[in-house]
Amino acid sequence: MGMLAWVMMGLAIWHYAIFVPDRFWGGIVGAFVGAILGSIVVGMVIYAAKSGAIKIPGRHDTHLVTALYAVPGALGGLAAVYFEGIRRESVVED
Amino acid sequence: MTDRRRNAFVLAIVVGLLIASLVIEFGFPGVTKAKKTTLGLDLKGGVELVYQGEPTAQSPVDSTSLSRAIDIIRQRVDAIGVSQPEIQTTGNNEIDVALPAVKDATTAEQQVGEVAQLYFYDWEPNVIGPTGTADPTNASVTGGLNGAGNPAYGVSLYKAVILASKRPEIKRKSDTTLGNGIDGIWYLVNEKTQTVLRGPDATQAALTGESPAPKGSTVIHIQPGTVIVQAETPNDQPDTKLNSYYVLNDDPALSGKDIKNPQQAFDNGAGGTGQPNVTFDFTSGGRKTFEAVTKRIAQRGAQTAVLGNGANQHFAIVLDNRLISVPSIDYTQYPEGIDAASGSEISGGFTITSAQTLAQLLQTGALPIGLKLISAEQVSATLGKQALNQGLVAGGVGFVVVAVFLLLFYRVLGMIAVTALLVYALYFYALIKMIPITLSLPGIAGLILTIGVAADANIVIFERVKEEFRGGSSIGRAIATGYKRGIAAIIDANVVTFMTAFILFVLATAEVKGFAFTLGIGTLVSLFTAVAATQAILGVMGRSRLIGTPSALGAKDRGRRWSYDFMGASKWFFSLSGTILLIGALAIAGHGLNFGIDFQSGTQIKTALTQPATENGIRQVMIASGVSDAQIQKVTSKALGKNAFQISTQKLLPANVPKIQAALQKRFGNTVNFSSTSIGPTFGATVAKQAIIAIIASLLVISVYIALRFEWKYAIPVLIALMHDLLITAGVYSLTGRQVTTSTVAALLTILGYSLYDTIIVFDRVRENVPRMPRAAFSQIVNRSMSEVLTRSMATTFCTLLPIASLLLFGGDTLKDFAFALLVGVASGAYSSIFIASPVLTHWKEREPAYARRRARIAAENGGVVPPYALTGSAAVEVDPTKGRRRRTGRLTTPDHPEQGISRAEFQELVQDLDVEESLTPKTGGVRASRTKRGGTPAPAPAPAVKRKPAPPPAADPRADATPEDVVMPDAPKPPAKPRTSKSKPRRGHGRPR
Repeated sequence: MGMLAWVMMGLAIWHYAIFVPDRFWGGIVGAFVGAILGSIVVGMVIYAAKSGAIKIPGRHDTHLVTALYAVPGALGGLAAVYFEGIRRESVVED
Repeated sequence: MTDRRRNAFVLAIVVGLLIASLVIEFGFPGVTKAKKTTLGLDLKGGVELVYQGEPTAQSPVDSTSLSRAIDIIRQRVDAIGVSQPEIQTTGNNEIDVALPAVKDATTAEQQVGEVAQLYFYDWEPNVIGPTGTADPTNASVTGGLNGAGNPAYGVSLYKAVILASKRPEIKRKSDTTLGNGIDGIWYLVNEKTQTVLRGPDATQAALTGESPAPKGSTVIHIQPGTVIVQAETPNDQPDTKLNSYYVLNDDPALSGKDIKNPQQAFDNGAGGTGQPNVTFDFTSGGRKTFEAVTKRIAQRGAQTAVLGNGANQHFAIVLDNRLISVPSIDYTQYPEGIDAASGSEISGGFTITSAQTLAQLLQTGALPIGLKLISAEQVSATLGKQALNQGLVAGGVGFVVVAVFLLLFYRVLGMIAVTALLVYALYFYALIKMIPITLSLPGIAGLILTIGVAADANIVIFERVKEEFRGGSSIGRAIATGYKRGIAAIIDANVVTFMTAFILFVLATAEVKGFAFTLGIGTLVSLFTAVAATQAILGVMGRSRLIGTPSALGAKDRGRRWSYDFMGASKWFFSLSGTILLIGALAIAGHGLNFGIDFQSGTQIKTALTQPATENGIRQVMIASGVSDAQIQKVTSKALGKNAFQISTQKLLPANVPKIQAALQKRFGNTVNFSSTSIGPTFGATVAKQAIIAIIASLLVISVYIALRFEWKYAIPVLIALMHDLLITAGVYSLTGRQVTTSTVAALLTILGYSLYDTIIVFDRVRENVPRMPRAAFSQIVNRSMSEVLTRSMATTFCTLLPIASLLLFGGDTLKDFAFALLVGVASGAYSSIFIASPVLTHWKEREPAYARRRARIAAENGGVVPPYALTGSAAVEVDPTKGRRRRTGRLTTPDHPEQGISRAEFQELVQDLDVEESLTPKTGGVRASRTKRGGTPAPAPAPAVKRKPAPPPAADPRADATPEDVVMPDAPKPPAKPRTSKSKPRRGHGRPR
């Protein structure tokens, strides 16, 4: 259930990436991958830090706050893909 | 074959099949009778049991043993007189037994799932005493002369388990708990309370695999060589649940394989009691062994008599680890053992029914594997009939509303579509009877949904026909072109629906299989009736005055013209979706999903009671039966009456449902229309696993198909849109708290297939417009495509939602569950096709160098702004990709339909045929800067654009910035052929004049 919440949160945040100029590495699809992967990885890391175990929270371990664990990951994933896109553009220009 | 002949041929097939269908459905007097419809258990009542095979020392769980078990179960079911049972394997190791019209689930379970492993033990030398060894002469261990096997001499199960666990491993040839990976037996005990929590199980994994061992419990292993058997049930207390057990050396002298011809009889011999018993003969090997063993027992009896330690010794008959009888062998009467020529008998404690049951079980033989009941469903016939009626009403209403919609929207074309729908319904009903398809409630849902699918195919074509007509084609030509151009999108959409139905059929549980099968078959049949049949009908009618006017086609007006900047507004639609998903994510995390018992095990009972009852009264009965978490809800329905209740609990396992029924009967009189669904943890886990596999497999198959049919870049937006639909549906389920059942999963998978319908329609038009607009930005191509197909997408979605709404309003509980998921998913699917998939595709494609160059050029031409539609400037250049592709087979000398005159398009063709095109059209090398496309809707009015500059003249090479893949894609119209040179001879066909 935790995974479902993280993926949903990642997908939700990705939708707002459309307001950012498309300089993502791989375009809007690259942003999608970045947001989803970021939300899952960081969600798991935060949950692991809180619970002391590397696992996906099950149905009874998932709470409202659990969904928010995905927010920094999704934003971070988007940012990483965006800056990688800028870096690649500058390499091509050089 | 000419068109006329082809149409006549197709119509002949349609009529022929129709007659055959009617004969199957209603029979033909004096020749054949109408075939019966096979109804599923949910519609006619009965019991469905799902067992999981478990290995025994005699056999592993494999295809051979499962097949043998099914044969034995079939014989047992036949013996109890059940007609039309359905027994089949499901998954890797499960057996599904459906018994229509059976009302007594308890008897059914006893008859079907009993392993019936029969063993005969020499009693005294094998009974283990407290010291852990046999003590044949100790009456307190063996029960002595009159107490052998008696509960009074046994010990509690916990003590028996502890005693047996201390015994060393003893391997014998005859061992019943060794082999096929089985090494003894396993129990789970609580040493504090001295109770046995679980077991016996053949493996430790079986003991603790489903759910972890509770805190404070201990796993106990009993090594091969020792078995625990329950004491003999006293004759006067047949229903007593005994907690008295004996520990035996696992050294049986004979087994069920050594006997034959078991029969229920009466003990009417000399000195007989007249009580029911079971008689049997021995096989030749069994006879010799029996005589030898009874001789040994008699001799031991004689010896013990001499020693003064008792006299007659015993012979124990054990069925599935229960002592059935422990008769003594009179050493004075049989000093040389008992002659087994005339067979033997098992007597003691039988009623006629129980003796008959045992005889039947022994007749069919022991099951080669153990069967663990993991799911049981009992449906009363009354509730089944009610569900059938609800399904039929929902289907009928669904059909009528779709028909009304088609008639209102498409007039005469609609009438033809409704005729095709009727033909479809008759074909499908005939197939149901002929194959035969077991019609279940989910199957009815699939059938109703295919009405929408069939109507959608017609809508796609009819909209195309209207478009062609409005574009200047004559009616006849519009029909021909409409079918020709619409068929690719319909086939793509139907193939995807069929593939998801197939995946569902392969992976889903039996209940959902019915839905998948009807959906798959229905999709294929509807493709024939909605496309081939309607085309033939229209082809034949093409010359009639009935469809000779625009109003007959519903194309009197110029049609709705969309001029909305879909791509420009996409960021607002993305925001909307993002917000919905955000709320959904929080709801999923906060509320979770309300999984039904299908996924997490438990039992749901629905029953009416003859004596007045209250929710509290029922709760007390449940608590007294050891079920503390029951949720009781009073229900009122026509079939159940006013004194009816629904009981839901997660703690009650399938095997214990009959006990609850008995407890309710004891307290509140008879249980009327008792229906129950009970799922064990194993089954729930299997269902959840299958659902995940099915969803992933569907996504993969859909992606591969889209990549092959379109371009791989088209597959990614489709996947994102599908993910969007699934997650929004999940979010809505979480927010509303609706129960997620196997029907929901089936609906989700249907959504996967169905939400693609709209996406494919849009992408198909994009694919078509890409080579047609070689200088337009991709966003302009997509905007144009969407404006052309939006009405069609809305019509197909609305038409599908009509039968779904009918299911939601008129279907029973199961159908309503199903319909709700479909309603949310289909609506979300239509939305995501237009507002998610297409913008994602646009954003992604516009990064490609060719489209980036186009966009930059168009922006430069328009003061830094790309207009939403390619109406001015170089972007407006439009080519006719079909030009030069089609070769005329005859000269255009007369119109297709003299009474209708010739259309504008036909006039253009006439001009081309006469090679006078250049004098009438601008010299653009097959390129037209035009506001109306060939055979298409007039381009929409321009949307306001800021700082628009005057458009420069078209470039000399209109395809300068188009990539090859833009121009040629699978199924896309081919690029213009080379202009005819003076060397190539024009074809001068002399066929039928046009």
